[in-house]
Amino acid sequence: MMQNPTFIRGPFFQAALLIFVAGMLYRLVRVLMLGWSKDNIPPMGSKATGVTQSYLKGLLIWPFIPWVKNTFSKNPVIYLAGGLFHLSLFTIVFFGAPHMLVFKSLLGFGWATIPLPIVDWMATAGIVAMIALLIHRLTNPVLKLISGLPEWLNWLFVFLPMITGYLMTHHLFLPYEKIFGLHVLSVSVLLIWIPFSRISHFMFYFFSRTIHGQEFGKRGVKP
Amino acid sequence: MTTQDAMNTFVKDTGGWVASQLEACTRCGICADACHFYTATGNPEYAPVWKVELLRRAYEQQFTFSGKIKLALGIDKKITDADLNHWSDLNYQACTVCNKCSIACPMGIDLGSLLAGVRSGLAAGGFVPEDLAKAVQLQLDEGSPLGMTDEVWEDRLEWVEDDWEVDIPIDVEGADTLVIFSSIEVMKFPTNIAAIAQILNAAGENWTVSSTAREVVNFGFYEGSEEHTKQFLKTLLDGAKELGVKRIVVTECGHAYDALRWHAAHMLPEANNFEITHITGVLGELVGAGRLNLKPGFYDELDAGTITFHDACKIQRKGGHIKEPREILNLLAPESFKEMTPNQEQAICCGGGGGVIAIKDADPIRFKSFELKIDQVNKVGAKTVAMSCSNCRLQYVDGVGHFDLDWKVTGLSQMVADALIEEE
Repeated sequence: MMQNPTFIRGPFFQAALLIFVAGMLYRLVRVLMLGWSKDNIPPMGSKATGVTQSYLKGLLIWPFIPWVKNTFSKNPVIYLAGGLFHLSLFTIVFFGAPHMLVFKSLLGFGWATIPLPIVDWMATAGIVAMIALLIHRLTNPVLKLISGLPEWLNWLFVFLPMITGYLMTHHLFLPYEKIFGLHVLSVSVLLIWIPFSRISHFMFYFFSRTIHGQEFGKRGVKP
Repeated sequence: MTTQDAMNTFVKDTGGWVASQLEACTRCGICADACHFYTATGNPEYAPVWKVELLRRAYEQQFTFSGKIKLALGIDKKITDADLNHWSDLNYQACTVCNKCSIACPMGIDLGSLLAGVRSGLAAGGFVPEDLAKAVQLQLDEGSPLGMTDEVWEDRLEWVEDDWEVDIPIDVEGADTLVIFSSIEVMKFPTNIAAIAQILNAAGENWTVSSTAREVVNFGFYEGSEEHTKQFLKTLLDGAKELGVKRIVVTECGHAYDALRWHAAHMLPEANNFEITHITGVLGELVGAGRLNLKPGFYDELDAGTITFHDACKIQRKGGHIKEPREILNLLAPESFKEMTPNQEQAICCGGGGGVIAIKDADPIRFKSFELKIDQVNKVGAKTVAMSCSNCRLQYVDGVGHFDLDWKVTGLSQMVADALIEEE
């Protein structure tokens, strides 16, 4: 397979994309079909306010300002690493010029991208953050307890596209054609893995954050 | 009572609401830092994510593709009696269901509800710790887990009326408000009964207590048994209906308020025929509307040192009554009232809630986690700690004795009642 970059870039990547979309849809529908009971408890505060605050805080404030929540003052570096990793991933995946072109070929429309030097800096930050998170997972007693094979694979399958992408941009170690093939291969593996793993949290995040906002909002408490 | 019952309950509880949150967990472990039992002991098994592990496994094995593959490949094993026993210890002894972990969770997972779900499964399978199961049985047999039989209740109330010279209206049909005390107050903090009666009388409230709906404590809610929880709640709602009241006021008891205010209507829709509130809300209302003749700065004048307020998980973080105690204390003790850090919705639990205080085996970690509160209170230099939950108060009184501290532990109602200006 490695000998055939066009296969990886072509049918293999497309198959991976299909597995990713179908798998995620399956998981979404399955959870939706489990049934949702109606909340008949008279609220004390506004659920809508709670949900709004929940998203503002969850997305914008605390991943980057750990001391907003006293809990994180114990380990602000890890929290910052988590926030930085996600920011880096989003920026590169959606606003890196080559990635936007892939989306454009799939969706038929494109958008403005971020200049390479910034994307490159983001990539470095993201890779450093991932290494910090790995060290944390290897040493923290709670994370050691809750980490099994799926958790280690999660890390690996996310790290591979990042490192191959970085090597490709900087023309390091391998010829461009080869590293490009490896990059697309690692992305494909990640896409196939996501529906079977907890990396799918990017979809269920919108459930839990909404529920969190509703639960705190209906009690009139800051989420 | 078998593992299968536990499993069936786990599965029954797994609607989309629970499932989507179990799916959202990234296993980042950040919830651990929010848990007072983990922080105090460093035992990684006390991480909330690990306490919920049983529910996650049951859910995945039953519903998810990857869960079934894991089971088939032997990566995951079927849940056994030994697992349930182990998680019974983790969940009943090392969790107060205080829900601080849900604030810490970057995904915002409502861990408190999931932890309650774990308890439901354990209760259905008969894996409730002996001490807690005994208390539930007592409540089923005598109407109260603390031995507050009809006779004892009548005697205690009569004694409070005589000793504090206060009227307590009993079984008044057509009263507006039914006040339901907890047996902790009746048996251990009778001054609370007197204080609340004085306050409501002073405000001219048309209130009553009920001789049938007289125990607000709900040990079925602690153990997580829907059947028992519902049965105890029904006694209260029936009593309220008989007297024809409009409003039910839960006194200084946290979990009972949580059960009545935020869960009863899910099990018994008739709960919505009443306005259900907590005495902290009533105090806030009465003080805010100027219906109580209070002496502003009363506690500053006493010069008894700094006063701080302990936020109860079920009344403040999960109950919503965060502002009222502050408004009251800023009126009665504008100089001497100081906040602990962290406070309000981010407060650290007392360590005795969720039935933990009723379980003897949990004593060592219960006291260990109380050391966090000692640090907090000492940092602010408080000599008096006020709170609006008698279960927290029990834990504080116990902790003060255990660690030989010189703090005064009191209830918010008590503080309000003491600051009332007597009318001629």
